[in-house]
Amino acid sequence: MKTTLAALATLTAGLLFSAHSLAHHSFAAEFDAEKKLDIAGVVTKVEWTNPHTYFWIEVEGKEGVDVWGFEMGSPNGLMRRGWTKDTLAIGTEVIVRGTQARDGSTRGNAQAVILADTCTRLFAGTSQRDFVEDESAKVEGCTPKQ
Amino acid sequence: MSKYLKLSLLGAAIVAASTTLAQPPAREEGPRTPTPRLADGTVDLNGHGIWELPYITDFATRMVGAQKGDQPPMLPWSKALWEYNRSNDVKYDPEGFCLPPGGPRSMGTPYPAEFVQQEDRILIIFEGGGHVWREIHMDGREHPEDVNPTYFGHSVGRWEGDTLVIDTVGYNEKTWIDFNGHVHSDQMHTIERITRPFKEVLHYEATIEDPGAYSAPWTVAWDIEWTDGAELQDYICQENNIWLVELKDDLGHPFFEKMEAP
Repeated sequence: MKTTLAALATLTAGLLFSAHSLAHHSFAAEFDAEKKLDIAGVVTKVEWTNPHTYFWIEVEGKEGVDVWGFEMGSPNGLMRRGWTKDTLAIGTEVIVRGTQARDGSTRGNAQAVILADTCTRLFAGTSQRDFVEDESAKVEGCTPKQ
Repeated sequence: MSKYLKLSLLGAAIVAASTTLAQPPAREEGPRTPTPRLADGTVDLNGHGIWELPYITDFATRMVGAQKGDQPPMLPWSKALWEYNRSNDVKYDPEGFCLPPGGPRSMGTPYPAEFVQQEDRILIIFEGGGHVWREIHMDGREHPEDVNPTYFGHSVGRWEGDTLVIDTVGYNEKTWIDFNGHVHSDQMHTIERITRPFKEVLHYEATIEDPGAYSAPWTVAWDIEWTDGAELQDYICQENNIWLVELKDDLGHPFFEKMEAP
């Protein structure tokens, strides 16, 4: 929890959230839609499990490295949208946008996973897909490295 | 008012602005290929493809003949329980525990489904809802006199012209009607009517008759879209449901206690 403030960024206000097609359980009971996250880090682990896929990233903070864990949709949902087992390789630099767990831990619900090299946005299949209205739109706040 | 409730109401308002609540949206765009049929002329409910079940989070928004804001005719206890479920972000939803959706909710739950049509029975297999299936007896049998309650109950089906009518009794009380927290009793009796007006759409209707929880029968309806050539995938909900470990009861204690062997 050291770098939360550094990592947090306010996202566009006025986004519409609604109960939605890939929610497995109550989103509102676990995550706080008001605690928005916008974090850059390096993927250290990916778990292709049901009912949610998880991945972890290491984030450089002011006082060292923090580990953040993120929940996405289930593998079937992600793979229908073009994900493969290799999409999020260990060592990949990503930008994750989402919301934080209610308990304040370094856990979150990923709504957009952006590959930092290309600024490609991957559908994260979460309970707040409406977060990204136009998935083909240019990713704000990301400059391709290549 | 809980955040979830606010969000639900907002979502409902958006839906209401674009569609009429009383009837499912008529399909006005896209192809309308004639209804496929088996060799004997019976409607073919599947073929090579899958049905993209819509996620119906609140059945009240799909009630036939209802106005916006209407609720099913709940009895005082079922209304109180529904309000309680909503007040705590529907965190005790059994489907969130990877338990089966049961009943009509199975036709409005995330992930697609397929029909397997045999001479004496029809199976509906679901990718979601815990990777479960329903079995509908088509051999003319009747319900047993005293049914042991189960998640999906005992289903018998028949064709009325081109409409498949599924009659089900014997539900247990371990499921909710919908994600929104509407409940039912073990007296629930459902009559589902399924048609395939053209290849690309399945029209679904379910009448819920439950004198244990509702003062009158009520009917919901929606359309289900077909994806040609697509296939079901793996979805084993119980694999790693961290929600079960995290969930706390109203007093802050773990909801699921360890069970002790007898």
